[in-house]
Amino acid sequence: MIEARGVTVVYGRTVALDRIDLDLAEGVTGLFGQNGSGKSTLLRVMAGLLRPSAGTVMVGGRALDLREESFRRRLGYAGHDSGLYLHLSIGENLELFGRLYGCAPNAPGTILERVGLADRTDTRVGELSAGLKRRAAVARALLHDPDILLLDEPYANLDDDGAAAVTAAITAWRAPGKIGVVATHGAKRVKAYADGGVILTRGSVTVAGTYRPNERTEGAGAE
Amino acid sequence: MNEPGFVAKTLLLTRKDLRIELRARDTLVPMLAFSFAVTLLLAFTLPTTGDNERAIAGASATTVADVLAGFFWVTILFAGLIGFARTFETEQTEGAIDALLLVPLDRSGMFLAKALANLIFILLVEAFLLPLFVLLFTLDVGSGLAPLLLVILLVDIGFVAVGTLFASVAAQTSSRELILPVLALPALIPVFIAGADLTSDLIAGGTFGTLVEAGWFGVLIAFDVILGITAALVFEFVLE
Repeated sequence: MIEARGVTVVYGRTVALDRIDLDLAEGVTGLFGQNGSGKSTLLRVMAGLLRPSAGTVMVGGRALDLREESFRRRLGYAGHDSGLYLHLSIGENLELFGRLYGCAPNAPGTILERVGLADRTDTRVGELSAGLKRRAAVARALLHDPDILLLDEPYANLDDDGAAAVTAAITAWRAPGKIGVVATHGAKRVKAYADGGVILTRGSVTVAGTYRPNERTEGAGAE
Repeated sequence: MNEPGFVAKTLLLTRKDLRIELRARDTLVPMLAFSFAVTLLLAFTLPTTGDNERAIAGASATTVADVLAGFFWVTILFAGLIGFARTFETEQTEGAIDALLLVPLDRSGMFLAKALANLIFILLVEAFLLPLFVLLFTLDVGSGLAPLLLVILLVDIGFVAVGTLFASVAAQTSSRELILPVLALPALIPVFIAGADLTSDLIAGGTFGTLVEAGWFGVLIAFDVILGITAALVFEFVLE
């Protein structure tokens, strides 16, 4: 369980997140909202990459602390950028991160297969299109089979085949006890498999609910 | 899963930086080009004695040694700052710094990896520069070569520790090439004064014995220890 309590982020005079209270249980939650609504900021706070101006984030009942290696080991995050090294190939990037996380030697190959990039293993990231970089970023975030997955706009710049590959990778990752948050401004793709949804509007949660029929709340119909 | 230890992960990151440099060639090449250009300029501006030796006419051997040691370390200082300013360039272009911050490795490992890569870069520059100095300034280090290499290594350790730390600070600004010297130079002054003084002694005919007896030798070692430990500890807070 990820619990956000009173999370506020202020950039100068701009309030990016305004006293967010949110409980994210296991399963995949779609994080929706227009550009500038605070989705990326909230993901960065939940990843521990951004310290909120006020409020706390608890993961599994403990205050989030990025200095804890055990927390980092459990987290997979892909932000707006790919988080990869341009001068290394996709395979070299994933091999590097795989070794840093202590993954099995075949882990990069398996995840690249899953996101449909197996034939691009030797291509340098700097030579990839924006859409292929996005898929590679998702592969990096999923590489170590994290318990918590935070993806920021994983469908940006993707064609239908690429989007289907990313969806397949996320649904294959999903398992009991795992928590995923997928931020996107186009909700349709994520709603197809998400267990719940949260809508952010100008830094505030306006709707939060689940999509399961027996638990469906006001969030279910939100786009 | 068989997760590597601290040292193995640190070396992995250093190897990654070296591999990227081999492909991009955007750090070492400018450092070498700068060193070569400055050394060439200095060699042609220094008056000769007329007997095919570059030295200041009428100056004593000690003065010449002082000048050459100064030339050497000033060249290294600025060549290093050019390279160190790019320390986190590869992490910033595609947001790899975020991915790296989330890797289960102590921040000091990240610092050591970057510092080790910078140390290799600066050693390569010196491996190029020292023979160039011998050639252009008819420098005779002779028996002083081994202690000179020791001095170079000790100066480099302090230089790299400070340079890498302040490069991480400067990387968070838009004008890192300007900020880095402003931040790093005050902290580097003692290290480079010690380096120039000890190098001058060795060029003037000093030996390992005179090096160890020199007051600056102890100062240099003390600075290396203090700067190295402080930089590794402070690095985490800079990243935060």
